[in-house]
Amino acid sequence: MEHTTLAHHLLLAGLLFVIGLTGVLIRRNLLVVYMCLELMLTAATLALVAFSRFNHLMDGAVLVFFVITVAAAEVAVGLALIVALFRQRGTVQSDALNSLHD
Amino acid sequence: MPDGLFIFFAALTLGAAALLVLSRNPVTSAMGMILALVGVAADFFLLDAYFLGVLQVLVYAGAVMVLFLFIIMLMNSDDPTGAYPWKTLALGLATFFLLSAGVLWLFQWSGAVPSIATGPTPPELSNVPSEFTTSAKSFGRLLYSKYLLPLEIAGFLLLVALVGVVSLSKDSNSTAQN
Amino acid sequence: MSPDLSCLVHWILFLPLVVAAFSAVVLRRAGTIAAWLSTATAFVIAYLAWIVLSQVPGDLVWHVKLANFGQMELGFGYLLNAHARLMLFVVSFVAAWIHLFSIGYMADDEAKGRFFAGLSIFMFSILGIVVADNLLMTFIFWELVGFSSYMLIAHYFDKDFAAAASKKAFITNRVGDLGFILGLAFCLQHFGTLNFADLAAHQPAGGWPIALGALLMCGFLGKSAQFPLHVWLTDAMAGPTPVSALIHAATMVAAGVYFMARIFFLMTPEVLEIIAISGASMAALGGLCALAQTDIKKSLAYSTLAHLGIMACALGLGHPELALLHMTMHAFFKATLFLGAGSVIHGCHHEQNMLQMGGLLKKMPITATAFIIATLSNCAVPFFAGWYSKDAIIEAAFHGHHYVAFGLLAIAALATCLYSARMVRLVFLGSAQSEAAEHAHESPWTMTVPLVILGVVFSLAAGFATSFLIPANATVSIAEPLHEMAFSFTAPATWVGLLSLLAGWAALKFYGIFPGKDSLQVFSPRTYHLLEHRWVDSFYEWYLHKVQRRAAEFIAFLDLLLINGVIGRWIAAGIPAVLGYFTGRTLHRGQTRGYALWIILGTLLLAWCFLAR
Repeated sequence: MEHTTLAHHLLLAGLLFVIGLTGVLIRRNLLVVYMCLELMLTAATLALVAFSRFNHLMDGAVLVFFVITVAAAEVAVGLALIVALFRQRGTVQSDALNSLHD
Repeated sequence: MPDGLFIFFAALTLGAAALLVLSRNPVTSAMGMILALVGVAADFFLLDAYFLGVLQVLVYAGAVMVLFLFIIMLMNSDDPTGAYPWKTLALGLATFFLLSAGVLWLFQWSGAVPSIATGPTPPELSNVPSEFTTSAKSFGRLLYSKYLLPLEIAGFLLLVALVGVVSLSKDSNSTAQN
Repeated sequence: MSPDLSCLVHWILFLPLVVAAFSAVVLRRAGTIAAWLSTATAFVIAYLAWIVLSQVPGDLVWHVKLANFGQMELGFGYLLNAHARLMLFVVSFVAAWIHLFSIGYMADDEAKGRFFAGLSIFMFSILGIVVADNLLMTFIFWELVGFSSYMLIAHYFDKDFAAAASKKAFITNRVGDLGFILGLAFCLQHFGTLNFADLAAHQPAGGWPIALGALLMCGFLGKSAQFPLHVWLTDAMAGPTPVSALIHAATMVAAGVYFMARIFFLMTPEVLEIIAISGASMAALGGLCALAQTDIKKSLAYSTLAHLGIMACALGLGHPELALLHMTMHAFFKATLFLGAGSVIHGCHHEQNMLQMGGLLKKMPITATAFIIATLSNCAVPFFAGWYSKDAIIEAAFHGHHYVAFGLLAIAALATCLYSARMVRLVFLGSAQSEAAEHAHESPWTMTVPLVILGVVFSLAAGFATSFLIPANATVSIAEPLHEMAFSFTAPATWVGLLSLLAGWAALKFYGIFPGKDSLQVFSPRTYHLLEHRWVDSFYEWYLHKVQRRAAEFIAFLDLLLINGVIGRWIAAGIPAVLGYFTGRTLHRGQTRGYALWIILGTLLLAWCFLAR
């Protein structure tokens, strides 16, 4: 992989991030929105690993380790919240969840 | 020009991500997500971060996505069949194209990112305690020396998440009766 | 020094923990097995301690570094110097016999498993304090001791008074420990280390060490039940009697004295002066208050307070070795007294009121003999164990020209003889005053054997036959005062002692005048009430209800007014309300993706601000 440079990895990470972002914006199912959020997080970790590799330093990779840990905890809580929401409202469509407006 | 494996996995990742965003069925979305995560893990491998790649597959593609699938099946909630409102679609497409263009410009043409390739560790970094290595051992060494406090906090965070999930998933009706 | 001996210390320290865990998990329902297991462990520990004491030539040092937090080192280690060796012997030896006694005393209890697991946990904690080589480790075990004491006082937790007493003991100890932990922080900041050995190298000077000594003293005040934190000890008698004997008379409260002797080099003259005066006052007051208690255990608890005061006074006079000597002797005779009281209570079918007893000398001869010998030791009759230490301390006060302490200690000695005589007269002499005392019976061998060993052998002979009874290695720190003690008619301490004994003899007659009643109460009800009333408790009650509660209510009112009212209602809710009024149509559509879009725009703006510079 002599020819793959830092910029290529960053480009991949950036595009992945943008795709996830678009998903967050257009999707209405909260679960899918949540998956898109996770995708954005993963894109960020990809950039971190790339920086870590090309700077010859381990710290970025260790940070990715923490990001994965936090993401796992976050997913558990977030899903529990979605389940609680589903129990109370009977739906996870974000369009139906606009009571904040009223 | 990047090498073939990178192009293959990058295309796989982006395609799977597109599947995640565009599919109407949440289960298909989840499958796309898993594929995208595996693609990212493969990219980790190409970056010599083997330990993180394995971790990514185990934690994300393994544990987290299984959790997602469980919840999806539990709720059984497909999207409503109607078309997306054109405003939403326009907003999404505009965001996508604008930001993609921005990303492409920033990383390919702006010259902000130096076009460095991987190579041997420069001599001035070879004695740094956190020098990049491929072994999981160096993770352990850093985690228990320089990053000991964050590690403890992360552990505590997991505990808090555990407690939080237990308390959240208790049936609110039964607690109301008590 | 050699590795196999530090290995023995590992066994001594961790064996009780393992046994406690095992009992708590597996032997909950099998109380009898747990009892014997725990007792066997206690004897094994005593044996191992004996081996360590007889094999180790000098100090035993062992240390392992667990972790580094910045400048601070978390270490785990043993430092068995002369003080620690003596304490190790006292704790392991006395505890073993009290374990055996507990088997008989707790025979009918339903929660034996929990009780003996608690005793083992206590053993683990107190041994940890004994061997610890740094302040942090001491503190951790100190708290563990507090916990096990709490757990054992609350053994009869279904009784309200026991639950309240355990809570009181715990909270009072926390007040003292607050000082302790602040002392730790000061120590760390000032010296940068918590190891005893390193600390001893620094000599305290200037203003901080006074604060440091005073703060560490707070921990001692709490644990050793010194004024003004003494209120918990008498209530702690709500626990089973062996617990009172082991924890609240022989070892735990003495751990405070041991701790002070261990960090004696950190004490400045000012702090020592405070300790001397407060200890001597405590000694005098505790002894006098013991005169106005009808509960045999509470009376003994006040006696313990008095003796702890005497030890504190010895510390304050600059004689830690005398304090340790008295701690050792006190452990023997006070454990006997409590065990004797336990035996009496057991024999009288859980009657604790001394006025309801009487005439037990004939019905419980072994218990009575041991109790009376321990009482004589308590009164410092020449050549009994207590005489060696107590007279030495009074003597030291006189020769140190500390006449205030001397006077107070003399009152304490007098009071000791008075309440001892009263106790013996009411419990063992005269005629039985109740049905229960009428039908009293001698206790089983598991209870009488410890009484004979601790009472008849050690309370009598621990002083003059030390070399036969205690491993020589353990007595290094107290050898000198022991050998110096001599019976001389010209010493003021001797005069104080003999006069006190005469007064005690008079008291023995005095308390026989009104059978079934307290003579002092009959003669002078006002004096009796003055002694019986718990002034400090009343003061705390007044403070809590009238001062602290008012202050808390005032602060709660401020909170309601300022935080909830001004900040919460007006500022925190007002600003968004005003903003929301202007932006409600455009920004707040109640749609998730709208909010997400704003977040993205905000992030891009921030990124542009940071990166485009």
